[in-house]
Amino acid sequence: MRFLPLVENEVLKLWKRRRFRLVLLILVALIGIIVFAQVEGRRRYGSRKDWRIDAQEQVARMRNWLRRGRLPDTQRRWVQFEIARLQYHLDRNINPDETSGPLFTRGFANAASYLLLHLLAIVFAADIVSSEFAEGTVKLLLTRPVGRRRVLASKLAALLLAIALTVLLGGIVAYLFGGLAYGYRGWGAPVLTGFRLAGETLDSSAVRAVPLWEDTILVFGLAWFATATVGVIGFMTSVLLRSTAASMGTMLAALILGTILPRLASTWEFQKYLFVTNLPLPDYYTGSPPPIPGMTVPFSVVVLTIWAFAAHAVSFAVFARRDVLA
Amino acid sequence: MAEPVLSAEHLTKSFGDRVAVSDVSFEVGAGEVFGFLGPNGAGKTTTIRMLVGLARPDRGRVRIRGVDPAHDFARAMAHVGCIVESPDLYPYLTGRENLLHFARMLPDGAASRIPDLARLVAMEERLDDRVSSYSLGMRQRLGIAQALLGAPDLLILDEPANGLDPAGIREIRRLVRSLASERGIGVFVSSHLLSEVEQMCDRVAIIHRGRTLATGPVSELLSRSAAGFRIVARPAARAAELLSAMHPGRVQPDGEDALLLAAPPDAIPAALRGLVEAGVEVFAAERRASTLEDVFLEVTGGETV
Repeated sequence: MRFLPLVENEVLKLWKRRRFRLVLLILVALIGIIVFAQVEGRRRYGSRKDWRIDAQEQVARMRNWLRRGRLPDTQRRWVQFEIARLQYHLDRNINPDETSGPLFTRGFANAASYLLLHLLAIVFAADIVSSEFAEGTVKLLLTRPVGRRRVLASKLAALLLAIALTVLLGGIVAYLFGGLAYGYRGWGAPVLTGFRLAGETLDSSAVRAVPLWEDTILVFGLAWFATATVGVIGFMTSVLLRSTAASMGTMLAALILGTILPRLASTWEFQKYLFVTNLPLPDYYTGSPPPIPGMTVPFSVVVLTIWAFAAHAVSFAVFARRDVLA
Repeated sequence: MAEPVLSAEHLTKSFGDRVAVSDVSFEVGAGEVFGFLGPNGAGKTTTIRMLVGLARPDRGRVRIRGVDPAHDFARAMAHVGCIVESPDLYPYLTGRENLLHFARMLPDGAASRIPDLARLVAMEERLDDRVSSYSLGMRQRLGIAQALLGAPDLLILDEPANGLDPAGIREIRRLVRSLASERGIGVFVSSHLLSEVEQMCDRVAIIHRGRTLATGPVSELLSRSAAGFRIVARPAARAAELLSAMHPGRVQPDGEDALLLAAPPDAIPAALRGLVEAGVEVFAAERRASTLEDVFLEVTGGETV
């Protein structure tokens, strides 16, 4: 029995249940509101028309500093980066002090990886298994000449596909709306990456400049990874609880706990091993302080990977053995 | 019987302290319609769940064309089409989409059977409507079409008459009979309706409280139930007394003036003469054809279905 037709079945069911449409609608509505609010909020301050003169003056001043050569090494690198950044914007006639469509897109991934993307993942994950129990169709699904593990694997594949598509869709909608408000150009703008908090001070030894598009892809990659982990854990709750409402409630509670815990109990170090604490990793990749000091992007990737594998193992072990009495 | 399509050996299943199915064994041959008769809650659906691998037996085993689903699930189930408990299909898909969905879980070629099967169960007209708009009878028929997608050797139907009107029941009966006789499919039908099983099945097992109480060809079970006569006589009490003396333990009152006598036909003339000679007035003596209901009452000790 080939595997692809099984995945096709599961994708078809997700589609026909209008899950994709719901998620797309949420993304469009939310991002639309955010962009609208930002544009309205900024209108009061107005934008300065003479930014070019400012930027040109700044570049000239910094070039001067470099020429005199009395800067320490670290500052030197900062100045060089700032010159490159301003020059990029001057060359393309983009105001460097304003956000751009590409910057907004990256910012969306950072903000959305606190809750929004994970909620959307749960929309898919919560009922992908439990709905079959609720509708009684599990009795047909599991009496066809296809092993239970294959059936479950096809569901997981469809879920991961849906989640990847959701993250991608989020990026596209954010870019379309952000571009509409702030212009579609600016993917090549240099941005700094590699900040690390070492104790109380910012460790900038690993900082380097990369084009914005490269950084955005990485941020979305991390957002996708965190969201996929939420998806796999939601998948497990769907298998274990066999009820969409119970699965959704459990996952919601976990996700909300993840946003509250670092604020209200930041001294409890153990929480850095919980999956929910590690979810906003795109944000601390781009330089925000991590929820618990000492957490790094590789650390979070490892923790999330372990959680995902454990959830995957539990789902399959339980689903393959349990009596179906629905 | 030739090599059975389905055999169940000593199936036993408990849920906690409650024994749902206990030591149930039977065989279903090719081209045979096998009835699994019992009241609701007797363990019929639990047995079916074990047959199709949804639940694991605590003890005993199942073989479908010689293959145990517990060992090689895919190979065993390739020969089976089933409806368990109720014909649940995806309500948000159309009938055709449902059939295509399940055809994708079968070897290539299953989808090409859809038009024929739709005609067979008379669902052509409504095949492109959503299942949520179907009546229970239509779901039942679509469920049978789904079960036949893989050209199975064994069809397992759980209460196929549920939710059907008398015409629908007749249709299903005809369909099941023709599947067995024309295509040689072994059909396992569970039901709590005696008349249904009596009319549809070749052999029957009676299950009650998780145990099979009797198994055999319908005709044999019917003849095993003692042939009975209904005798209308007055005074009935006196008649009962006299008949009980001749046939101890085989007389039951049946209404005000009537008695049921379980005795072979050749014992009747003597019994009637006895009554008349003792001054009892005999108004009628009629033979009662025994039904599965009698068998059922007999084997379950008087509990009705």
